Amino acid sequence: MRIDQLRAPLLVTWQLTRNCDLACLHCCTESAPGKRLPGELDADEAMQLVRGIIDHQVPYVMLCGGEPLVVPHFLVIAEALGAAGVQLKIETNGQRFDAQIAERLARLPVRSVQISLDADSEDVYRRQRPGGSLAKAHAACEAARAAGLPLEITFAPTRLNIDQIEAVIERARTLGAFRFNTGKLMRIGTAARLWNKLEPSTEQYRNMLDVLQRQATAIEDSMELCYLPFSIEDGLRRSFEEPPATMLVLPDGRVKVTAALPHVCADLRRQTLAEAWDAYRGAWRDLEVLAEVRHAIADASLHSRANNWKVLALANV
Amino acid sequence: MDDSKGTNEAIVQGQQANNEKVARNQKPVWETPKLEDVSEQVMAQPYIRFT
Repeated sequence: MRIDQLRAPLLVTWQLTRNCDLACLHCCTESAPGKRLPGELDADEAMQLVRGIIDHQVPYVMLCGGEPLVVPHFLVIAEALGAAGVQLKIETNGQRFDAQIAERLARLPVRSVQISLDADSEDVYRRQRPGGSLAKAHAACEAARAAGLPLEITFAPTRLNIDQIEAVIERARTLGAFRFNTGKLMRIGTAARLWNKLEPSTEQYRNMLDVLQRQATAIEDSMELCYLPFSIEDGLRRSFEEPPATMLVLPDGRVKVTAALPHVCADLRRQTLAEAWDAYRGAWRDLEVLAEVRHAIADASLHSRANNWKVLALANV
Repeated sequence: MDDSKGTNEAIVQGQQANNEKVARNQKPVWETPKLEDVSEQVMAQPYIRFT
C-alpha cells in the first residue's frame, strides 16, 4: 500500500470545531450554532498539533469545521503552519471572510480558499443554509480574489437547490474561481437525518450530470469542473483498493479511519502524529474495518452512523 | 579449559550480527510526503473534495 511507504500523511484534514454560524440542512458534520464539541482542542493543544504537523513534514493541511473562522485561534494556526511552509486550504461558508482576513491569508502559502455557494438565489440559499446570506458569500469570494487568493467553489446538491447548479457554475466562473466541486449528496450527519426531504430524485441527478457534462465542454480551460467520483461510495471503493494518504482529524484531536465510517483509530491529544499515522495504516489492515468498508460501499444508508464515533480496539485511544 | 564456551559466544555474536543485519534490511525506507502527490488523493474523496 502507498501509505506504507510514507512517513506521514500527504494531507491532514483538520476539523477545527463543530461549531458553526449556520445550520445547513445538508451538513455532514452536524455543525450548527452552539454545537461546539465537548473536549475540542484548545489553542495550546492546537498549537501542539501544529508543531507535530510541521515536524513530520506534512505538506498540505486543510482547515475546516464546522466553520473554521468561528475559532478564535484560527489565524494563529494558519499563520504558524504557513510560516513553516505548509500549504493550506481553507474551507469556509464565507459569512465572516472579509478583506482583512483575506489579506492576512494572502501572505501565506494558500492553495485554495473554498467557499460554498449552494444556490444562486438568496431565498434558496437561505432555505438550505439557515442563518446564511448569499450576498455575504459572494462578497467573501470577491474579497478572496481581490487579495489574490485562489478561489474554489463547492456545491452540495439537494432537492432544494439542484436546479440552480448551472447558474452557480456560471457564477463561480464569473467570480474567478479556478475550480468548481460537486458530487452526490452524502448521507451523513444532518443530511442523513433529513434524507427524505433532501435527497434529489433520480431524474434531478440525471439532469445535474447532463449540465456538468455540457458545462465541462463549454467552459474548457477557464475553470476546472470536478464531480468524479460522484458518490462517496465510489470514493470508498477507491480507498478500499488503495487507502488514501490523508488523515481526518476531529475537533477533539481524534483521528477517523474514513469519513463515511464511525471508526476512530488514534487520539492526537495523547499520541504523536507518527503514532497516529501508524494506527491509521494499521486500521486499513484491520479485518473489522475492511468488512465495514465493504458494507458501506454496498449500502449508503450505513453512512448515517458515521458520526457515532467508535474507537477501534487496535488503537491506544 | 572449555573451548565450547568461546565457540558458543562466537555463534551467539554471529547470530546477533545477522539479526541486526536483517533488522537493518527490514527497516522501511520512508518517503517524505510531497505536495505534488496530494491533489489526486483529495479529488478521489468526495467528502474532502466538496464538503
